[in-house]
Amino acid sequence: MAVHAVCALGALLFAQAVVRLRRRGRPDLAGWGRVAFFAAGIALVPISLLALDERADENLTWHMTQHVLVGDLSPALLVLATRGPLALFLLPPGVLKPLARTPLRRLVRPKIAYALWAANLAVWHVPALYDAALHHERLHYFEHACWAVAGLLAWTLLLDDRRAVGLRVALAAAMFASSQVLSDVLMFTFHPLYPAYPSLRQQQLAGVVMMAEQVLTLGTLAFVLLRPRIRPFRRTVTA
Amino acid sequence: MSATSFTFEWFFLGAAVVAAAAYVWFAREDRPEPWRAGSFALGIVLIAGSLNSPLETIAVKRLLLIHLLQNALIADIAPLFLLLGLTPRMRRALPHVRARYALPAWLVAWYATHAANVYDYALRNSWPLQVEHAVLILGGLLFWWPLVSGRLSSPAALAYLGVGFVASSFLGLALIFSTRVIYSYYEHTPRLWGLSPVRDQNLGGILMNGEQTLVFLCAIGFYVWRLLSEEGAAEASSQS
Repeated sequence: MAVHAVCALGALLFAQAVVRLRRRGRPDLAGWGRVAFFAAGIALVPISLLALDERADENLTWHMTQHVLVGDLSPALLVLATRGPLALFLLPPGVLKPLARTPLRRLVRPKIAYALWAANLAVWHVPALYDAALHHERLHYFEHACWAVAGLLAWTLLLDDRRAVGLRVALAAAMFASSQVLSDVLMFTFHPLYPAYPSLRQQQLAGVVMMAEQVLTLGTLAFVLLRPRIRPFRRTVTA
Repeated sequence: MSATSFTFEWFFLGAAVVAAAAYVWFAREDRPEPWRAGSFALGIVLIAGSLNSPLETIAVKRLLLIHLLQNALIADIAPLFLLLGLTPRMRRALPHVRARYALPAWLVAWYATHAANVYDYALRNSWPLQVEHAVLILGGLLFWWPLVSGRLSSPAALAYLGVGFVASSFLGLALIFSTRVIYSYYEHTPRLWGLSPVRDQNLGGILMNGEQTLVFLCAIGFYVWRLLSEEGAAEASSQS
């Protein structure tokens, strides 16, 4: 129910932002591509948290799939859809202005966002906490909310065109390296780490799922950021 | 044969002596900094040492895990140290290799030498094993050369390393996840440390994957740092 409500609220806010921006004569900033990205991003939330939930309770690989969808792929698509001026239209001015003055704005500083993202990744994979979240529904909801918020913060920075390419590539590399440590722990361990999931094979596959998803999202981002800079250098060298 | 006995691949011992002599010869006119000489020496020692020591005995007579460690040392780590040890003048004397050719060539060398039939055949015969090791060393030199030669910009180097990391990781993953022995040669070798052939293989995959992760992430970290420095310098010059 809560998932449906959050998704419906998000869709409502996005729809009114698109309409307002289009009415102001800027359909270029609220095109159908953005709508498609948002639809895909928001659809992944119920898919991962509801459709995959039963499988995730029994299988660690599916649980990891759920986490990477809600904590990485979905936030990436949502930020891709709302970045730039459209983001300023998501909330009414009466809410946005006071919000911008709160200390919350500091959360999108690179070091803070990365620290939160990495801490979230590390803390929620501690076996005792992972197990506790499985047995307490509210804690489990909180865990998923943490994934989503940490992902949104990180991707807000990664997709911010005002920031230098080097900084964004560095952040992507730091995120990949951090998650690679966890992937390796899951893949390289010869005994199950989480009491609720006794299958070692599922645990190793969970590590592969995490690595593959990060290669897909962060790798694509790095490629898109670096590609324009590769070609001019080649010409210079050849000349 | 005891696991601690020495086994030799004489060709590589000879090649190491020739390479060291050639380096000393060229260094008479183009004196390298101590760290370069140290890096080259380390590369030589890693190749000659790992192929002419008890490591070779265990790799060829007992455990796949140690054979993969040996391969990682001669294919990934030693070539990098060798190339880093060259002075700028020595580097200029070497031919330019385009990244677009070096990367596929390295991947072909990596996967072809680890194909089950090739690997088993090489282990059962002496000279094909030496050919396999030579291909791995040459592949490693080919892979690192576009980076060390300095002809790739930081973004291009990052793309090159990223593709290399992802494309080369499948072999290690296959070894980690396989529940049957891929290299039949090791089914019949005497075991060490109580490792079954499958566990030996899984550990070998872990070692390979862990080593590549470490080496590639360090290299990626270096180029990310260089990219940040270049952007910082560009910003500073645009402000002044």
